[in-house]
Amino acid sequence: MSIVDPLLEFPLDTQPDPDEFLRAALRWHFSPETGSPFWLERAGTLGFDPLSDIGGFADLGKFPNLANELRHVRAEDLIPRGYGEKPEVVGVYESGGTTGAPKRIVLLREWLDRLLAWSSAQLDRHGVPQDVNWLVVAPTGPHMVGDVIKRQTAFRGGLAFTVDLDPRWVKKLISDGKGAEAGAYAEHIVDQVAFLLQTQDIGVLMCTPPVLERLARRDDLAKLIDEKVKAINWVGTQMDADTRYLYRTEVFPNAHLYSGYGSTMILGNASERPGLSDDDPCIYDPFSPHMIFDVVDPETRETVPYGERGQVVMHHISKSLFMPNNLERDYATRVPGPEGVWQLGDSVADIAPVQEFDNETVIEGVY
Amino acid sequence: MSAGSAGLITLDALGPAGPFRARKRMTVTDVTGAPVAELSLVPKLFVTRAMDALRKAGSLPADERTAALARAGKIFAEETIDGLSFAEYEHTVARVSGVPIGVVQAATAAIIEATEQSRFAAYQARPTGAVDDWRAGETRTGSAVWTRRGDVFAVHAAGNHPGPHSLWVEALALGYRVAVRPSRREPFTPHRLISALRAAGFGNDQVVLLPTDYEAADEILRSADYGLVYGGDDVVRKYAGTNVLPQGPGRSKMLVPAGVDWRDHLDTIVDSISHQGGVACINATTVLVDGDPAPLAQAIAERLATIPSLPPQDPKAVLAVQPVEGARAIEKFLLAKAAGTTTHLGGDGIVEELGDGSAVLRPAVHQLERPDAEQAGIELPFPCVWVAPWSPADGIGPLRNSLVLTAFTEDEALIDALLQEPTISNVYLGDHPTYWIRPGVPHDGYLGEFLMRTKTVIRD
Repeated sequence: MSIVDPLLEFPLDTQPDPDEFLRAALRWHFSPETGSPFWLERAGTLGFDPLSDIGGFADLGKFPNLANELRHVRAEDLIPRGYGEKPEVVGVYESGGTTGAPKRIVLLREWLDRLLAWSSAQLDRHGVPQDVNWLVVAPTGPHMVGDVIKRQTAFRGGLAFTVDLDPRWVKKLISDGKGAEAGAYAEHIVDQVAFLLQTQDIGVLMCTPPVLERLARRDDLAKLIDEKVKAINWVGTQMDADTRYLYRTEVFPNAHLYSGYGSTMILGNASERPGLSDDDPCIYDPFSPHMIFDVVDPETRETVPYGERGQVVMHHISKSLFMPNNLERDYATRVPGPEGVWQLGDSVADIAPVQEFDNETVIEGVY
Repeated sequence: MSAGSAGLITLDALGPAGPFRARKRMTVTDVTGAPVAELSLVPKLFVTRAMDALRKAGSLPADERTAALARAGKIFAEETIDGLSFAEYEHTVARVSGVPIGVVQAATAAIIEATEQSRFAAYQARPTGAVDDWRAGETRTGSAVWTRRGDVFAVHAAGNHPGPHSLWVEALALGYRVAVRPSRREPFTPHRLISALRAAGFGNDQVVLLPTDYEAADEILRSADYGLVYGGDDVVRKYAGTNVLPQGPGRSKMLVPAGVDWRDHLDTIVDSISHQGGVACINATTVLVDGDPAPLAQAIAERLATIPSLPPQDPKAVLAVQPVEGARAIEKFLLAKAAGTTTHLGGDGIVEELGDGSAVLRPAVHQLERPDAEQAGIELPFPCVWVAPWSPADGIGPLRNSLVLTAFTEDEALIDALLQEPTISNVYLGDHPTYWIRPGVPHDGYLGEFLMRTKTVIRD
């Protein structure tokens, strides 16, 4: 199996048969000539033969969730041998480390090209202009998003200005009760953004909701953004519908505001579905069939009905990586895929970390 | 306030650009659990922008503020505001908070009085050496002028009783711009009051109503120069010594020393316990008596036992009502804490269900063996009193930490000691109930002591 199955490289304007696509992927990842050392080593411990016992996506659940092993495996062992001696590696990236030690994946040039072609088409559907500069306020290494967006900007014909953001450091400060230091760090980010906004042609701003909120607080910067920036892409955490509405109507009425949702474990991200109204939840449609979303009951692991909330399960299936059944930390509402568009699996809406409850059981006192 | 599509009252946030109906809303229910209103909850960004608008706004000149406050009181009391008449509003507050309608009416009357007397009440705190305005003749020869310490005042309101809303109007009278985060239990009073203030001439950017969840609630205090919060001991500890003034538990007490016959004061004692349904911080929590506390406890219990159990909107209602579940939780807490005391009333529980999902919180009277028993400091939102023995040998230790202390005494040394004690906020001597209050006297120190300062001005 040294010849690549064309099914794995299907043209993006076509629809592959999903089960045939999956079987082709399994042949690639589990054949000694082409598979990665990671999967070839584990193939014997699965208790089934991926090549003969998996008929299609209905059987995907047989695979265990091995994402935790990405915390310690050698990065080299994740690269399928089919790429040959000198695979074109863009980078090795890590998850945020929210649920323990970081997990590591390898981003291969071939997958990045596919991802960029797909996500760039999504941006076109959002009306995000080509040939403009991006100001990317996002983590760079060891995280993936900064590098990918930088390459996406180049792909679309603009310059990328980056302001690095270290989310792990922010989480550490907050968990140590150093809220003021976290705030000072955020202001340091905003100061750097200010210089770029004041001096450069910025067409698209990408940042997190907390950074956007701090930018909005500075009248001069909010005004600059609304004058210069054509689109604001927020990522990283959730934003409630009222806040989104205020940005769109009061703070940045001239810029197109849209969001993105991604995960290191699926090697990519999705933009929010274009055309949603102010009252719609933020819906994300994955790059099917390379990325597949499911929303499950955290107790039973059964898929929840449409419209219900549950924990997100993701699969990534491409030539460069096979990572099925990864249970994410995020919760989401399960929604059907977009009408009239072929998609395997579901879409997800209103992403949020584990639900927090108001714990108001105060008895004593009169207030 | 206006009728929503489902027949529910709609309570919008009142922001600097006018009313704001948020997508995120919470249902306010009455004591039976029936939905009554939908309250908009604004996000942090809305709070930030509203607080920024308050900061940028100017204040009305003093005379205009005073006049607008008085007009607002009239509008509050007389006009239909967003579809609700005054009587409908009061009825709603009673149904939602469970506070008896008569108590609600007294509280709204106090709010109206506070708007009428706002200038007098707010400026009572002004030092005698200071004048209101640098334009006063006194500054020609040099004088202190009373000035604001800041511009923006934030209030995290309480939901136990509408009365406290009469306090923050003093901040408006002093020229502060004010942001109120309503209690999610009873948002009606501040909503109506702020609507009335705006109708009376205060700008949308001078007084705002910001219903929010917890995260954005902190933002309101953080963005203000000074703040006021209501809460338990934890809140008091958190904000002590900051720019936020905590209003904590009242733990109001009464003292019957030797030589005083409690029978002469039984009306005042019982009233202090049960007036306002027992929901206020100025209700008596503990009664200390020099001698055997049993006869007094028994007499209090006999009086309190006769109070009828009625729904809160009944004109004859005296006791507060809560949803059964909440009432049972309070009862469970009380029974656990009261173990080891002598019960004169409420030993089998204090919950009387009204059959519609709500329950009356009936009075409880317990006798303690010592004045420093742990229970003496337990304040609950219904007529719940601890009667304990006290003798001069116990000193004023057991009298500490009282919002109001009524002492039936003429012992000058004792009175001196009580007034010197920093943790006793108000001392009432003789036959005055703990709930006595009127505009111009401080509830827990003047608000003006906290919000204002003096500056010397001399001019040509």
